[in-house]
Amino acid sequence: MVKLKTLVIRSEAEFQMIKITEEIRSFIADCGVQNGLAAVISAHTTTGIMINEGLECVETDIEELLERLAPKDFPYAHAHFLPSYGATGSNSPSHLKSMISGNSCLFVVQDGQMISGDAQDVYLAEFDGPKSRKVYIQVIGE
Amino acid sequence: MIIDVHTHPIFYKAISEDTEILKYRKEQFGIFKQSPSPLESVLQEMDYNGIDRSILLPLDLTTQSGGWIVTNEDVKHIVDLAPERFIGFASVDPHRSDAAEILEYAFRDLGLQGLKLNPSKQKFYPQDDILKPIYELCLQYNRPILFHAGMSWEPDAPAKYSHPLNFEEVAIAYPDLRMCLAHFGWPWVHETVMLLLKYPNVFTDTSLLHMDNALDFYKQVFKTNMGPLWIERNLNDKVMFGTNSPRFKAKRLLPALKAMDFRPKTLGKILGGNAQVFLGERGNERPWLN
Repeated sequence: MVKLKTLVIRSEAEFQMIKITEEIRSFIADCGVQNGLAAVISAHTTTGIMINEGLECVETDIEELLERLAPKDFPYAHAHFLPSYGATGSNSPSHLKSMISGNSCLFVVQDGQMISGDAQDVYLAEFDGPKSRKVYIQVIGE
Repeated sequence: MIIDVHTHPIFYKAISEDTEILKYRKEQFGIFKQSPSPLESVLQEMDYNGIDRSILLPLDLTTQSGGWIVTNEDVKHIVDLAPERFIGFASVDPHRSDAAEILEYAFRDLGLQGLKLNPSKQKFYPQDDILKPIYELCLQYNRPILFHAGMSWEPDAPAKYSHPLNFEEVAIAYPDLRMCLAHFGWPWVHETVMLLLKYPNVFTDTSLLHMDNALDFYKQVFKTNMGPLWIERNLNDKVMFGTNSPRFKAKRLLPALKAMDFRPKTLGKILGGNAQVFLGERGNERPWLN
């Protein structure tokens, strides 16, 4: 059995960590799959899917680390007009933060429930907002 | 107060239901890999950037490619959805035989507040006689014109029509007609500066990000190609904040503009005060310029 849900999320800032744990947990519980895997996948190249502890201080440290690794002011090659896009992105830090954080995560589904550690929260991490974003949750199992 | 004088509502969901029209818009404007956004997202992005109002620009290409990138009615529709946030401009293809009627309808009945013309995409020279009835209507209704000037990224849009010097005779013939030569007329920045300096009715906007990132490009154009104090000393009444969204984004241009070390008063004029003069909402504080 394969079940899919699409979350549409409107971010509100250029950098934002948006918890989506409950949406995932709820879909897994309602979708009818008892045992299997749940994949959470972003549809974008300037967002991330992260699992971490849902504390504001941890979020701050993640944001500051990513800013140190991919600062706004750097001579990025991507800073030019893109004819295939018809626009100037100038958003290389957003792409690099997305690469660092990763685009997806997996959870075990057991007895119709999402299995996760007590400290684990799932985030859609916005690196190029504010924008409307899509996250796919696909549950595969029986 | 911040006014973005240069916004193309190409991907506003409220006017993007028809996929064929959206395809035409993308091809004619030369923009891809983006999809329609609901009005809530548009307003949220404006709020995030501190933009109070945006001027929405249509474009009539009836005789060139048989359609409009965005119609005057589309603009009116969006303005009606959030009248406190949007200022609607009209467009008209100067080559169409009913150009004057289309424009008068847009000003009188749709209540649109200015005119957008793109000499490169619409293929006309600004000083051509066919423009006379259009300019006279703008004067009659006290409406400004935002002209595309300089290089255009749109396909089939030769830059020769939009060279800044083409606008000089218009500025001379119609001294009361407020006009914006968008994009600083890039790459003819010095020619644009000459017109800004000489003609009180000529304005420009900051919607240029043709190379580099916004900070590097603004430094290059405003501080190196131009003397570093030219805007501050000579053109502080003539430059308006504009993005050319969705091609260039406010979240890139605004921080770069704020990093140019303008005096707070000058920055305030660029971000909104000069747009109010351009729109006719208030007079120029420096009457010797009028």
